[in-house]
Amino acid sequence: MTTTTEVPQVETLQLVDGGMNFDGVQALEDVSISVKSGEVVGLIGPNGSGKTTTLNLVSGMLHPTTGRVMLGDKDLTRMSMRKRARIGIVRTFQSVRVFGRLTVAENIEVAALGCGMRRHEARELTEELLEELNLESVANTAAESSPAGLIRTIGIARALATRPKFLLLDEPAAGQNESEAVELIEAIRNISRRRACGVLLVEHDMSVVMSTCDRLHVLDSGRTVIAGLPQDIRHDPQVVEIYFGKRH
Amino acid sequence: MTNSTRIRRLFETPILLVALMGLVALIAVFGDPTITRVTVQALIAVVFVAGLSLFSGNSGVMSFGHVGFMAIGAYTTAYLTIPVNLKSSMFSDLPESLGFLATIHAPFPIAVLVGGLAAAVLALVTAPIMARLGGLQAGIATLALLVIVFTVLNSWTDVTRGSSSMIGLPKSTTIWWAAGIAALVIVIAWAYKKSRSGLQLQASREDYLAATASGIAVGRHRVFAWVLSSIPVGFAGALYAGFFTTFNSQTFFLSLTFSFIVMIVLGGYLSLSGAVIGALGVSVLQEILRRFQDGAFTGGISLPAGIADLILAAVLLFVLVKAPLGLMGTRELRLFRKRSIGSAS
Repeated sequence: MTTTTEVPQVETLQLVDGGMNFDGVQALEDVSISVKSGEVVGLIGPNGSGKTTTLNLVSGMLHPTTGRVMLGDKDLTRMSMRKRARIGIVRTFQSVRVFGRLTVAENIEVAALGCGMRRHEARELTEELLEELNLESVANTAAESSPAGLIRTIGIARALATRPKFLLLDEPAAGQNESEAVELIEAIRNISRRRACGVLLVEHDMSVVMSTCDRLHVLDSGRTVIAGLPQDIRHDPQVVEIYFGKRH
Repeated sequence: MTNSTRIRRLFETPILLVALMGLVALIAVFGDPTITRVTVQALIAVVFVAGLSLFSGNSGVMSFGHVGFMAIGAYTTAYLTIPVNLKSSMFSDLPESLGFLATIHAPFPIAVLVGGLAAAVLALVTAPIMARLGGLQAGIATLALLVIVFTVLNSWTDVTRGSSSMIGLPKSTTIWWAAGIAALVIVIAWAYKKSRSGLQLQASREDYLAATASGIAVGRHRVFAWVLSSIPVGFAGALYAGFFTTFNSQTFFLSLTFSFIVMIVLGGYLSLSGAVIGALGVSVLQEILRRFQDGAFTGGISLPAGIADLILAAVLLFVLVKAPLGLMGTRELRLFRKRSIGSAS
């Protein structure tokens, strides 16, 4: 799988002591999380635990009230989401937000163009991604009228078209059953391995991330509960309580 | 998609639309003077609406201000083509700094070109606003632009003659000028739609946030389309001036804006073919309604003034309800249709 010609240097994207305060509501407090090139990190926690807020901070959609976002030793804290996309930190949305009346192929091509690729490069990459993600049959269909099950894949293909170094996925498997979700995330994992791309994956289903992530980060009420390897986290009493134990 | 299909799909629509312009021009050549007049007006409408569609169709921001650009094109043509000796009597009170307006003169083709460029200057000045605003706010800003242009033209009487007419323009707009520029503008609008900037702007129209998240510099593309679209609209003003040979500040205001909006909305603002077909169709419809109002179909009994506009407004409302994206939706005119792919969607 690994190509011998290019050896990409390993980079680290991290949120350092990130805090987010929305008009007095502390949505996130002192959360530190990091992703290395080629690694899949799962970000889990119950609803309202701050997963999406964390992703928004890392992607640049929101700027943290405290803490920093770093790529290696470069400070990105104030950099816009658009500029981050152009340096290879790209996100997807829970609601996908496809470009509905553009074709599936155009959805992918335009993201490549957005990140500065030349037209023919963008087209070649589009063809590759359509094939890799089995979207060829719908390539010339308007994205909004393609089958619901493919919409999420289109969103991922679009993100990959920017040639990301880091892919930030907001519940990419939402609405799918467990086996479909595992399959989709496995596919994402293979793709990112091949591209030596780091993945930060927001997911609320524990069992999905257990089998697919290299490391896990558990949030609850805007704070880190625990971070580590999946097998260590599975039996952590706090996590068990959050997920299976008493409900407040 | 194979390369040949892609090339066919790329050229099919503009070729059909340009051929349509040729056909329309031929109708005028063999028609009576009334038909020629309606045809030239319809072609000028095509120039305007295709130019407007270059901005609104790709960005999704409806502009109510483009008639302001048209006014700039028309007044520029007036200054450049009214005979110099007539101008010196028409503009005796020109401010010293604009004294050159009384003496400059240029042939019509140059006037058309300068008209387009003058419109682009205004577009460039207003571009920073268009880059920052989106959706409803942008639409309202364009309306404000129209009001600003109108107010200046209406009040700065020493230079513009305000509501007194500009007169003495030579009749320069022939059917071939109108058809030729319409064809040119169609090609420009199509080329932009298919360009990398055009595609990125369309993505921002579909989802602004996702476009930004894909690295697309929405403001930059919107500004480019805004300025580029003002040029054909300036041409339309020059053609208008060279055809009617007289106009005043009231000419380029709300009722003309309404006409063009009806055209682009009826045809379908997301489709260049829709814009062109809307411009042609509504121009003909307006002529029929005008005659209807004058009693042509009611045995010479003329109907109350305004009935034509009322019917047009009713047609607009009907289409907005029944087909919010107009007759063409997102489709373009094509000869061949492949069944296997969702080209009709």
